[in-house]
Amino acid sequence: MTVPDAPSPAPVLVTLQLNGEPVSVAVPPHWTLLELLRYRLGLTGTKQGCDKGDCGTCTVRIDGEPQLACLTLAVEVRDRHVETVEGLGVGGEPHPLQEAFARVGAAQCGFCTPGMLMSASAYLDKLTLEDEPVVRREDIAQALAGNLCRCTGYTKILQAVEEVAQVVLDRQRELAESTTEEP
Amino acid sequence: MSAVRDNVSRGRPYAVVGARHGKPDALDAMAGLAKYADDIALPRMLHAKILRSPHAHARIRSIDTSAAEAMEGVHAVVVGAEMPTRYGVIPWTPDEQALAADKVRYVGDGVAAVAAVSEDIAIAACKRIVVDYEVLTPLTTPEAALAHPENKIHEANKHGNITKQVQLAFGDVDAQLANADLVIEGHYGFHGSTHAALEPHCSVAHVDGRGLLTVWSATQVPHYLHRELAKVLEVPTHKIRVIQPQVGGAFGGKSEPFDLEFVAAKLAMKTGRPVKCLYTREEVFLAHRGRHPFEMDYKTGFAEDGKILAVDAKSILDGGAYSSFGLVTTYYSGQLLGSPYVFDSYRFDSTRVYTNKPACGPKRGHGSVQPRFAIEVQLDKAARALDIDPIELRRRNFVGENTTTINEFHIGSSGFLECLDLVEQASTWKARHGKLPRGRGLGVAGSTYISGTNYCIYPTDLPQSGVQICLDRSGRVRVFAGTSDIGQGSSTMLAVVAAEELGVHLDDVRVVAADSDLCPVDLGAYSSRITLMAGNACLSAARDLAGKVRQAVAKKWLCQKRDVILADRRAQRLDDPDVWMDITEAFILAEVEFGTMGSTGSYQTPREDVHGEYRGGTIGASPAYSFTAHIAEVSVDEETGDVRVENIWCAHDCGRALSPVLVEGQIEGSVYMGFGETVMEHHHVMPSGLRTDGKRRDSGPGKEGLLAHSSLLDYRMPTTLDTPNLFAGIVEKPDPRGPFGAKEAGEGPLHSVIPAICNAIFDAVGVRVDELPVTPAKILAGLRAQRSGGA
Amino acid sequence: MLRLPPFALHQPTTVAEAVATLKEFAPDVRVISGGTDLLPNMKLAQTKVSHLVSAKFLDELHGITRTDTHVRIGAATSLQTLAEDEDVRELLPALAYAASRIASPQIRQMGTLGGNISLDTRCRYINQSELWREALGGCLKSHGSECHVVPGGQGCVAALSADTVAPLIAYGAVAEMASVLGPRRAPVQELFQQDGTWHVRIAREELLVAIEIPIPAPQTRVAYRKWSVRQSIDFPLVSVAVRLDVADDVLTGGLVVVSALGPRPRVLTLERLAGSAIDESLAEALGQMVHERARPLPNLPYDAEYRRERMVVEVRRAVRVLAGLPERPLPVPR
Repeated sequence: MTVPDAPSPAPVLVTLQLNGEPVSVAVPPHWTLLELLRYRLGLTGTKQGCDKGDCGTCTVRIDGEPQLACLTLAVEVRDRHVETVEGLGVGGEPHPLQEAFARVGAAQCGFCTPGMLMSASAYLDKLTLEDEPVVRREDIAQALAGNLCRCTGYTKILQAVEEVAQVVLDRQRELAESTTEEP
Repeated sequence: MSAVRDNVSRGRPYAVVGARHGKPDALDAMAGLAKYADDIALPRMLHAKILRSPHAHARIRSIDTSAAEAMEGVHAVVVGAEMPTRYGVIPWTPDEQALAADKVRYVGDGVAAVAAVSEDIAIAACKRIVVDYEVLTPLTTPEAALAHPENKIHEANKHGNITKQVQLAFGDVDAQLANADLVIEGHYGFHGSTHAALEPHCSVAHVDGRGLLTVWSATQVPHYLHRELAKVLEVPTHKIRVIQPQVGGAFGGKSEPFDLEFVAAKLAMKTGRPVKCLYTREEVFLAHRGRHPFEMDYKTGFAEDGKILAVDAKSILDGGAYSSFGLVTTYYSGQLLGSPYVFDSYRFDSTRVYTNKPACGPKRGHGSVQPRFAIEVQLDKAARALDIDPIELRRRNFVGENTTTINEFHIGSSGFLECLDLVEQASTWKARHGKLPRGRGLGVAGSTYISGTNYCIYPTDLPQSGVQICLDRSGRVRVFAGTSDIGQGSSTMLAVVAAEELGVHLDDVRVVAADSDLCPVDLGAYSSRITLMAGNACLSAARDLAGKVRQAVAKKWLCQKRDVILADRRAQRLDDPDVWMDITEAFILAEVEFGTMGSTGSYQTPREDVHGEYRGGTIGASPAYSFTAHIAEVSVDEETGDVRVENIWCAHDCGRALSPVLVEGQIEGSVYMGFGETVMEHHHVMPSGLRTDGKRRDSGPGKEGLLAHSSLLDYRMPTTLDTPNLFAGIVEKPDPRGPFGAKEAGEGPLHSVIPAICNAIFDAVGVRVDELPVTPAKILAGLRAQRSGGA
Repeated sequence: MLRLPPFALHQPTTVAEAVATLKEFAPDVRVISGGTDLLPNMKLAQTKVSHLVSAKFLDELHGITRTDTHVRIGAATSLQTLAEDEDVRELLPALAYAASRIASPQIRQMGTLGGNISLDTRCRYINQSELWREALGGCLKSHGSECHVVPGGQGCVAALSADTVAPLIAYGAVAEMASVLGPRRAPVQELFQQDGTWHVRIAREELLVAIEIPIPAPQTRVAYRKWSVRQSIDFPLVSVAVRLDVADDVLTGGLVVVSALGPRPRVLTLERLAGSAIDESLAEALGQMVHERARPLPNLPYDAEYRRERMVVEVRRAVRVLAGLPERPLPVPR
């Protein structure tokens, strides 16, 4: 903060992996990751809804786990992997979740969507056939229970994640079957 | 312009209308590319912060801004005296100022604002502004405000603290009540709730080298904002450009100008630099304009067969500090009761009162959600008393189609009976209602809502909606419209209409919306008006162009224009599908024939035979009405009082679903919102004395009027784990006044979910909750009363 | 938006370095672990502090280890790790369950056990913006001299709102602190004092390092019950843990721990009920006991009278679950 009567401690150089690329940036200690992303790095895809951890709108993934950028000090993500919605698609193609959200109408105003996608992608990445042979809607609801949405009643969001989760498990099943057949 | 023409019937199936598409631009939001107001960053942009009143009611003696102005990094300070012009979204009730100049009327009223190089400095500078207040006695309940007319919250108001009173009567209510076989009489309380869109309000303003003031704002009414900016800033409208960027939800909470828009604009004018003002979440709760708390006394007379003979309704509306849309709310509180049931007689007496609290306004289902609760619970009580199935009782009272209500509104199409049938079947009502074990229950309710209002909120003969369409040599269609897409999908709706008429795919249509420099005027996203009104304007413009394209193609094919149709990116012979050309070629032929391809379409409501011939008879009059039925299934835990809403079935008649996926989304979102305000949410302002246990304590002025729940933690809106299974059923009864028969879908599906839940609770455990919200404590109290009553 | 005030952040990598930094800046210093409680409180200017010492890079504070007699949980272990840990789920199921019910998935990833124990007290009059508290005229915990919960009250009664504290006490957990003076141990039960302005008896110079929990005897059963309006995100409005020590199917001892009351949990011992059968009448008796001896205050943002009723029900339900009875009584027939 640059208030004359409350001089700010000097910015600290932080190096992190941001959407797979190294970033080094000087940031004051009292800046949150949300402020760094939105107002310094121009990654405005991560949204701010409540500023104090009540809504999940600012969810990003840190080392793969969904966390709140508004309650994370930017200098504390030193050497860690931060993923935002901007990094979700691969090679110019939307992530399957993005495609499913768009297709089934899971985004209305779109403001909770980036955070929702980050929580949902973390859920998907943990989905393994051994732990969970079937997709259960209540598991998805649990995974998204920290992300408020005011538009959809969650119905189409849960539907979109469920559809993609089913594809993920089906693919794992096919893979498991093809590898067991070979020898 | 021919608004009443038949848009419904067509000889061939639709290509785009009714298809299960998403939004063409959805992937932008998915990728974080969509730009919301706070995503805008301009070079040298300053940040503004508004200093707010800590007093619920006080006179401002003086404001000293010198210490703030002296701070390094502060570029300008503005106070209310610099923008004294009073405004209001309803031009008849201009009682607001951009910043309070003489008086503050609720805790949170803006008094001054600072623009500084950082938000931190703006916040620090606000703390250095010294405001000398003369604290006045706050009035935080309608009872107190009515009891103290001498303590006027607005000095200029004629009748004490009454902002509006409406008394209307139709038919002989007293005689009909005297004739009735059954009279149900009850008091109903409806609490306040708020929109809580996830995007906080934000505004950015900038004056360019030509002196053009551009304001980007998270608004759902850019046109009204444009007008009020001009009025308050004393800048002609042609020197102002209003742009609505992507908006992160609104639900009525962004449907009038707010202090941040005036502040950002004024400070941009004062500093010559871009200025951004972003609300904190608490400021969003303070800006409010949410659901009015109502106290309602209803008396309804029934014949033995369940027919409604008379309704006598008296309501007190807690308006908060300003009028907002309150004049309309007061009318809606009675006017929209005239459907979906037919009444032989009916009267209402509604009084809206100023209180020292955040102003109430239009939340989804503006003004008619509260009376709907009262009447639908009364119908349920009557069904019990008369031993008639509650669905059957509603069928017997159905208002009908192509008819006129007792308060002289014209009803066109109505799928209300189909809605009842659908939820009855989907919920397996017949097999289960009244047969479930104690603790589990089903409840039903029905409702109606407007598809826009026949009259603009300011008097004008200008169109309510305008659309301009250009065809491109590449085969694209560009639609320019003043419409506000706030997430409901209005831009998709325009693309569907244009694509259907012009024979292109949804992806071929680019919609440019809500930019006052680029788009014709549309009045905004309120009263569920856009699909019908802008949809018709778009249809009109698209038909005009399609006619020219077909004419040009017909000329080449040496056939009649009527033999050419446009569909699936082709122009083709109606009678010979093998004769076709690419739509791009067709557009080029048309451009060669007619020059640059552009057209405009307008929509103005029909002026004949559309409203009652009495004072107020225009308010609530709509070109077309939607219809809804809900069934809720609940389980009640008799030890804790918990009500778990398990399932909600909603069927909604939207005329025609132009985009069924989006209509379902509107239904699901509406049901969710209504569910949340029934059992969890409460926009509650502490009354005098901060104790909530009913005991009063001495409380000095300035200590009441505080918002009890001003964060998304304390204002509890349902999470994924709290939300019931939602079933969204679409009923299509095309209305000739809607584009392709379409009516509204964004607000109607909220109304009757609330009484449906309460009626289900009664079915489960025999407890009536007539004072919302439903809380476990009320359930336990009801169960206790039941036991002591020997039930 | 809400902004954090400026502060200096220290990121030590050893406990020795951390406690030296704490000593240097005490009392104007706080430990930041997950930050999910401290940072909102700082954004609201409820907590004002110039130095933060991060626990993030202190390896010693992370992880869960099991010995023959104890489970040891590093203070900076995330709540999610705690909720999912196989040993904790097997040996201390009520603690794992309590951790799984805290706030939201994101906050459980970020928040830590040490942070939850040190969670600041909560009250409807303090967890508000500066404007709000100014309008109120302050309170004992803000800038005023008046308590709005207990009129005339001289001590702040803001509520301990940590979900893990009640089960930790029920399990007999011990906290381990470090400071430049060396290590110190204290039972979690003794970690709290009746002062809502600062209720945790851990000095500013001290660092909470770990929690050690004795592995319960096979005949000891513990249940945790939380009530909040929503199933996610919310702090507890009722928070109770019940521990039943059982031998030969009768009660030999145990505890009822009620949190979310005032600054300190209420701990009721069950010795006088020794010999009781583990059945519905025990559920009734314990419910009656908490009704008489614990009283929720109008400090948390919900009707206090209902919270009292609910507390009683939750205690009864905890006993029923431990007794293998249905959680809910059967409904009265129509």
